[in-house]
Amino acid sequence: MSNQYVEQGLRSPVNLTWEVTLACNLRCTHCLSSSAEAVPDELTTAEALDLVEQIHAARVFQINFGGGEPFMRPDFLQIIDACHARRIMTCISTNGTLLDAALVERLAQSRLVAIQVSLDGASQKTCEAIRGPGTYAAAIGALKLLAKTRIPSSINTVLTRQNAAEIPALHALAKELGVALRVSRFRPSGRGAANWEALRPTPSQLLEFSDWLSNSGEVRTGDSFFSLTSQERQGLGLNLCGAAKLTGCVSPTGKVYPCAFLQTARFEAGDLRRQSFQQIWDNSEIYASFRNLRIHSCEECKRFEQCHGGCPAVAWHLKNDLNGGDPECLERCVTSIADEKKTAAA
Amino acid sequence: MAAAGIQLHPACRVRQEGFGLLFYDSRGPRLLFAETGELLPVDFFDQPRSRQELPAGLTAPQQNRLQTFITKLLERGFLREQPVC
Repeated sequence: MSNQYVEQGLRSPVNLTWEVTLACNLRCTHCLSSSAEAVPDELTTAEALDLVEQIHAARVFQINFGGGEPFMRPDFLQIIDACHARRIMTCISTNGTLLDAALVERLAQSRLVAIQVSLDGASQKTCEAIRGPGTYAAAIGALKLLAKTRIPSSINTVLTRQNAAEIPALHALAKELGVALRVSRFRPSGRGAANWEALRPTPSQLLEFSDWLSNSGEVRTGDSFFSLTSQERQGLGLNLCGAAKLTGCVSPTGKVYPCAFLQTARFEAGDLRRQSFQQIWDNSEIYASFRNLRIHSCEECKRFEQCHGGCPAVAWHLKNDLNGGDPECLERCVTSIADEKKTAAA
Repeated sequence: MAAAGIQLHPACRVRQEGFGLLFYDSRGPRLLFAETGELLPVDFFDQPRSRQELPAGLTAPQQNRLQTFITKLLERGFLREQPVC
């Protein structure tokens, strides 16, 4: 990973998270964006298609579509088609409930799409405690349909206290289905903030997961766990926060943020109804502040070169301090467990 | 038999950056930062080319450097070899 080039600033993001709608037919307890109903001023079809053109002009490689449930948006396939016509790669995060054979066949006509289906437990009970009734069978059904196609498909699991013990079983399930497993980090934003204490993995679970990841090279994590992964695994992904450097986030209403976990007014980098995407990327003060962000409080740590302070979004949500260092990094997990043992012994 | 040519892998993309070329492989995803400066135009990879073909006007050391670089791209899967019709 060439951090030097990333920190100097790229001409545009490598990929972009675009939450196309807040509408969702589920009410998952960990949802980062508190998705429920569509908001009234979501981008129109014309505005969305114009954004695709802007993203194409900026030579962004990939758009990661999320929400909400992207397929709840009536014009979503039109947006996807516009991306593919411009050879923009796409990845869709979906709960799978709206995927049927015809839709999967339609999507499989392009070789530029990948699909992640959310599944938050290897067992129905665990998954549905987080995602709601009927979600387990719907997700499995969607994954079976996808596995029959050439669409690169994966299970996407958010690691929580409730499903941490089932991650190896989820890996086995993914293999059985013929898809990949991607594990994402639970962050305290949206409904995830309200349910943080109940759902957050314990330090012991995080350490156990870190060890497991070290021996599970084919499991994907995106940039979620760079503060937690072993040195051996660093080559598989990023070792620094990519927000405003490699990636950005567009909200359903066209507001632009550093990442999907920092969609608040404090972090609004721009508004696509008032500025172009490239203007925001080039000139946003918020983006500039993230590019210059240095987690000085972590610089003395022996793992600093591996994680550079971890996820600023988690630090912000838990400590109200972007510079505070990731509260759930590997070192802090170890320290936290040691402190607990001391307390118990005393 | 058609000669073998090189082309950007369908899962990969490339664009110009200040330091040179930035390659993206969606299969990882993974990135490759290539300090090629302006030596290799980004549209060089738009169509299949023979392995020996390089932009005109390069010095011998520059040609050697780019040949080594193209071999590296092939080895790492960003480029692929296929028949040139």
